Amino acid sequence: MKVGPLNIPIKEDFSLKSILDFEKTPLNIFLAVSVLTMLAMFAIGVITYLIHGHHAYGVTREHPWGLLIAVYIFFVVSSTGFCIVGSLGDVFGFKRFEMISKRAIFGSIVTIMAGFAVIAFEIGHPVRMMIYNVLTPGLTSAIWWMGTLYGLYLTFMIVEFYFLLNDDMKRAKIFGLTGLLVGLAAHSNLGGVFGFLNARTISNGVYYPTYFILTAFITGIYLSFIVMGFRYKLNFDDKVKDLLEGLAKIQGLLIAILFFFMTWKLLTDMYGGMPNRADVAHHMLHTAPFWAEVIFAMLIPFLVILKDFGKSPKLMFFASLIGMVGIFFMRYNLVHDTQVKPLQMMKLTEYQLPPEWVEYFPSATEIMISLGGLGLCILLYYVGTKAFNLDATH
Amino acid sequence: MARYGMALDYKNCINCKACEVACKEENGVELGAEKHRIWVGGNNPEGQWPFLDIASAAFMPSQCQHCEDAPCQEVCPTNATYYDENHVVRVDSDKCILCSYCMNACPYDARYVDDRTMTVDKCTFCSDTRLARGETTTACQNTCPTKVRTFGDLDDPNSEISELLRTREHFSLKSHLGTNPKLFYLT
Repeated sequence: MKVGPLNIPIKEDFSLKSILDFEKTPLNIFLAVSVLTMLAMFAIGVITYLIHGHHAYGVTREHPWGLLIAVYIFFVVSSTGFCIVGSLGDVFGFKRFEMISKRAIFGSIVTIMAGFAVIAFEIGHPVRMMIYNVLTPGLTSAIWWMGTLYGLYLTFMIVEFYFLLNDDMKRAKIFGLTGLLVGLAAHSNLGGVFGFLNARTISNGVYYPTYFILTAFITGIYLSFIVMGFRYKLNFDDKVKDLLEGLAKIQGLLIAILFFFMTWKLLTDMYGGMPNRADVAHHMLHTAPFWAEVIFAMLIPFLVILKDFGKSPKLMFFASLIGMVGIFFMRYNLVHDTQVKPLQMMKLTEYQLPPEWVEYFPSATEIMISLGGLGLCILLYYVGTKAFNLDATH
Repeated sequence: MARYGMALDYKNCINCKACEVACKEENGVELGAEKHRIWVGGNNPEGQWPFLDIASAAFMPSQCQHCEDAPCQEVCPTNATYYDENHVVRVDSDKCILCSYCMNACPYDARYVDDRTMTVDKCTFCSDTRLARGETTTACQNTCPTKVRTFGDLDDPNSEISELLRTREHFSLKSHLGTNPKLFYLT
């Protein structure tokens, strides 16, 4: 290890050459080409947005939030999840989970950076946001709290990672705990962004702020399987198997709780008698993305865990990849279903045909920027694995 | 300082849309169906001929309700949406970051994106135009041939709107949401 600027320990051989130097297996080459393609798409998407503004997106007056909001949520949920998993070892002191802490905390940094990169092209004036967030803060706004706390959270995560790299576990624990608490507050505020909408009865209430924390933990465990799978090329030693078995068992419990949460959410939605809520819930049940969420994010991984109570880490790696696809649909559904019910201001014969449901489909620009965010996330993580020792050293 | 509101004798509306045109003209609202501060809503008659429910066929002019407890104002992260000195809900386009949260939070679909400034725009009760010139009516009110709209100060007991609200039954839209709209529909 050599010591970089600010006393950051980086790997001896870290250089541009070491980044380009990877084992040329078909999978690695495929991944490298995919990431480069996604980054190129990001560039094209951003340029298109800069030229055409929100006209390049599929969003409308009736459906102002689109794919980029969903993808932003996807990334920040991933970040919070990584943070929770990372905290198990270095904040709460569970020894068997310590070996993933550094990797998970680094994961939390790169995922939230990818989220910020995506949201920067959804918010119309991101620079103005940073100025007036400070000058005239809207303290009653969940978006203000969410954004501000996530900014703080990122700072704490970076500081915690710094201390982890320097094996200063005491300080890492202090910043880790603070970062975790700030992150959980930020994340539940993100749920609150939807929970405060009294115009959208399907989302209004306490459900999303709590559900976001639960699903963040689930997302963090899926991502842990994925990063550990790539790290060890699916050849796990006993210590890693022990870690992953523990995570899988927690995941089984969490998914069971999520099933319980979702079942009651749907039952109260459908039979609670709240205007405009039941019909949206029935509508959701008849859409493919809802079932993609249930089957991919919950059912398949849950069955894999139940098969032998989490003793198949290789299978769980693949189940986690499927799980993350489901988590994407989970975020997309949240955003879309919130807006799917027209506000019924009788604009029936004037400007539009009577819409039963508000239509939305992401534009090519939105899809390119979203995939670009994923490419950016993978690239940052890959560079991190080349620059830092993300394995436990103590 | 006033507390401006508007009463709408909506059953008098003949759907001529002069108010929409006057609003766009007076306030320089962008062209295009999606870009509107006010609108005339309509219900087709319900039922099947010959048993049509004629009473259900109504025109209902609407716009921003200038709520006393406006959800759009509460959710704005930069306080770009604010209540001015006359209790009119306004948007400071210099502060608006176009996060669109207010568009989602407004129960009345009263907000849209102004593509020229890339910020959210809405009805201002003509505060920047007619009221700023010292006039006492809004463009939509002034042009209405059947005198649907009455604009005025709710705190002034002698104003025409106060008199109307004292003497006519009225209702507000989506009042169950607790937004306390300052648009009143006379029955």
